[in-house]
Amino acid sequence: MTDRRGFLLAALGAGAAAAMPGSAHAQAAERASAFIKTTGERLVAVVNGPGSPADKRHAIGQIIVAAVDVDAVGRFCLGRFWRQTSPDQQKTYLALFQEVLITNITAKLGEYQGVKFTLGRARPQDEEQVVSTVVERPNSAPATVDWVVTKPAAAPRIIDVIAEGTSLRITQRSDYSAYLQRNNNSIEALLAAMKSQAILNK
Amino acid sequence: MRALFSSRFPTAGSVRSLVLAGLMVAGLAGCATAPPADDPEAVAEFKELNDPIEPTNRVFYAINTALDDALLAPVARGYRAVFPDVVRTGISNVLVNLGTPVRLGNDILTGKPRRAGDTTMRFFINSTAGVLGFFDVAAGMGYKKTDTDFGLTLANLGVEEGPFLFLPILGPSGPRDLTGFVVDRAADPFTWVGQGTAVVALGWSRTGVSAISVREKVLDPVEQIKKTALDPYATFRSLYRQYRTAELTKLKNDNRATIPVWFPDRAGEQINPPAR
Repeated sequence: MTDRRGFLLAALGAGAAAAMPGSAHAQAAERASAFIKTTGERLVAVVNGPGSPADKRHAIGQIIVAAVDVDAVGRFCLGRFWRQTSPDQQKTYLALFQEVLITNITAKLGEYQGVKFTLGRARPQDEEQVVSTVVERPNSAPATVDWVVTKPAAAPRIIDVIAEGTSLRITQRSDYSAYLQRNNNSIEALLAAMKSQAILNK
Repeated sequence: MRALFSSRFPTAGSVRSLVLAGLMVAGLAGCATAPPADDPEAVAEFKELNDPIEPTNRVFYAINTALDDALLAPVARGYRAVFPDVVRTGISNVLVNLGTPVRLGNDILTGKPRRAGDTTMRFFINSTAGVLGFFDVAAGMGYKKTDTDFGLTLANLGVEEGPFLFLPILGPSGPRDLTGFVVDRAADPFTWVGQGTAVVALGWSRTGVSAISVREKVLDPVEQIKKTALDPYATFRSLYRQYRTAELTKLKNDNRATIPVWFPDRAGEQINPPAR
């Protein structure tokens, strides 16, 4: 029995050593975690705090613009259509994308109260770091939310949020792609739809 | 849908139902048109979507949405208004507890002894200390709920999800998960144990309450998606597939050793922290 436990401990130790080479990776993980901790705490403070919905919307919008690489996410969500879009359309699209993103996230968070969030582990994924958190709300099962952080060492920005295994940007991309395909791949139609959506959900 | 029933001009109503029926038939026969071969990116995306009968699926999506708007969602909202949170959670817990045999079977079939152990412990603890499953006391003791179904069992064996299917009543699925659903239903002891009106009535009540309870839980997210998605069908399709893939990854990565949670190691720490 002691042998088995010894073996297990050794295996655990080996695993931990492999996960933390004590180099750039560990540092990147640390920075990404600290970044998500700060951003998450700021968001939770706004969501749980006082203030009118309009105030909260404004505050959440500021946090998103500061912490999220909105343009990178926007480009990703347009996928293969990005290159078929004129520079003017790209500019309009990115401005609308930011507005819609903030509106959607605020609409989702605005009604929450008593949100708690616990920082978990960070793991590398290609050039990025994925920071795991658990978000708890009253009367709901705790949800695992992973934050994908790009350039964790130099200038950390969020490029994706994965809630219970579903990625925000992949879901958004499939939404836009389906809309474009049903509207003759017309970027103008997409921009018009985004515009009316931004007005509708404000 | 409401307009169809409340129309003051029966002729207009019947014309509309005729048109609706016509659309349905057209939809049923419909297959998605593949993009032209000279657009490799579009072709790749089409293959990845794997939704060859998309037009038909969209018809069923429209029918389900109409049924949901008219029936299930209002009932779920009423259920939320009438029963307090504690009661709704309790009802959900009872239903989860009743699903133990099927879940345990799949835990075993996927070769995950710790999951099978957790499911078993949960059943004994929650059925007794949890008052017939009403309170989930086992979760607090480290025996977290698992969600293994036969669709995941097949996936774990390497069966692909296959083309997307949006089914009447059941919603998003695919050949693999539909097979899983049928097998799980057939394997459920409550399907074949006992007979007579009372048993049948209980079985249907369970199905009905379960539908309402599940629908109540997703009232807000579904409303949010319908409000923010430009193409809700595509969004639900993407979410469903991502969620199933994530469940499979979680299952595959759950390789906790079969040493009980309470077994202390030398440092006094738990060797196997309970899975989240």
